Amino acid sequence: MHNVVIVGAGPAGLSAALAAAAAGAPVLLLDSNQRLGGQYWRNSSQPIESQKDQHFDLDTGMLLMNAVKARKEITVWNGAQIWSASHKDGVNTLRVLHQGEEKIINTANLVLCTGAYDRTLPFPGWDIPGVMTPGGVQSLIKGHGVLAGNKVVVAGSGPFLLPVAAGIIKAGGQVVELLEANKSWRWLLSPLTLLENITKLKEAFYYIKTISQGKVRARFGVAVIAAHKGVDGKLESVDVATIKRNFKVKKTRNVKCDVAAIGWGFTADTSLAGALGCKLKVAKDKGVVAEADSNQQSSIPGIFVAGELTGIGGAELSMAEGVIAGISAAKFVGCKVEISKAHKKRRAKKQRFADALIKSYPVKSGWLTWLKNETTVCRCEEVSVGNLKYAIEELGATDSRTAKLFTRCGMGLCQGRVCGRSVVDLVAAELNISPTDTDRISAVNRPIISPIPLGVLAAGE
Amino acid sequence: MQSNIEFTFDGQKMLALPGQSVGAALLAANQRTLRKTRFNQNERGVFCGIGICFDCLVVINGVGNQRACLIEVTAGMNVQTQVGSHA
Repeated sequence: MHNVVIVGAGPAGLSAALAAAAAGAPVLLLDSNQRLGGQYWRNSSQPIESQKDQHFDLDTGMLLMNAVKARKEITVWNGAQIWSASHKDGVNTLRVLHQGEEKIINTANLVLCTGAYDRTLPFPGWDIPGVMTPGGVQSLIKGHGVLAGNKVVVAGSGPFLLPVAAGIIKAGGQVVELLEANKSWRWLLSPLTLLENITKLKEAFYYIKTISQGKVRARFGVAVIAAHKGVDGKLESVDVATIKRNFKVKKTRNVKCDVAAIGWGFTADTSLAGALGCKLKVAKDKGVVAEADSNQQSSIPGIFVAGELTGIGGAELSMAEGVIAGISAAKFVGCKVEISKAHKKRRAKKQRFADALIKSYPVKSGWLTWLKNETTVCRCEEVSVGNLKYAIEELGATDSRTAKLFTRCGMGLCQGRVCGRSVVDLVAAELNISPTDTDRISAVNRPIISPIPLGVLAAGE
Repeated sequence: MQSNIEFTFDGQKMLALPGQSVGAALLAANQRTLRKTRFNQNERGVFCGIGICFDCLVVINGVGNQRACLIEVTAGMNVQTQVGSHA
């Protein structure tokens, strides 16, 4: 029997691996990290039992990670960097850098659980050292035991800001402000979902307890709209604004800090799915995700997709999808196994919660008014708002793709992972049009999954 | 407590714990600037922390464009600030 090949060892990938193995399939699980767990259960090289403090539910993670390690049907490749992927005549070819060697995997089946990363918005000063993503601040604590700074402002939107603020306090840091751009009443837009997922409140209270011990109170309808550096070139303060429902500024004050952790939810990592030719679509939050059918199969038979890649919804939805994807892949390689109604019911419940999240934490277009002409948009290629405006007004760009070609915006090393989504919104606003789905999907087109040293290529071919 | 690993950053002696990334070890020592950009020589440091943004690029043992947030420190590693694209 062929291996079920799974990419990503976070909540979705671990669940998929265990489901496929339980169905009797041999599994190859690849992950770029040195340890299992993904971003959600990211852990350091210290004994894992000592790290529970930084997690709401590391027990579940440890259960899955230990089970994956214990199952002899599952082979794990940690530290595996997939740098190229293609699909032809039913065969997927992955080129992987693993333990210093290039390895090539040819497989008819594939389970993609590539997760997501922080969504960021450009604003004046966001490229000053000290401005970071909340996920970045958290990964330093969870993965390396390092606090990024002593006085941290946590801001942006979404429930993820709570564990980040709580984690900073538990690690001994000070959260000087915790700012949620949206109002908390927005949860009342989804009353039934709240009741149905009442256990989720337990998780929220777990974080809020720690946060209140840190003597911080969350403020709602407030955002960081600019960052300033001191004479040493490092972050010194941020401008904090009370904002309207559409994110336009009402009034501003200045807050001293040495780190600002600012994020606006998440963007799915579609690089691999896109390179293989899986159909991508625009989700309700306007992020691009991989399309999945009810068996978690992508538009390409044999390629299954699960977790944040198919839409931002959190670890529990990822696990529910991962199980189904793992069963589907096992079935594809010849195992006699069926997806149960209970699996689908569990997924549907978590999906309703994910939909409520989107309703509760929208990113409104008023953020565009925070920008100045000299604000950097593309951090890699150092393209400013003014450069983009010039491409539109003087060079005649009429869509984000053309504006990109004129300015190299989004064409640097990160291949638009950071700015791509914002550029589409910015260019459309400048042109006074609404971005099309094609605009959004073409902004995530990436030929190289992960850049690797040229020497490896030269040696391989 | 595990022993510290020694490495250098722009010739200066630094310490890291086993398993720590270059970026994490440098941040722990309050070294926030890891590179200077190609056109405007702007200072940049760790931003996304998970290998997505390519802003924390450093030169490691003479090889440029290495993501400080992903690479684990090894004993005797020679890390330098990256200026420009290090082509």
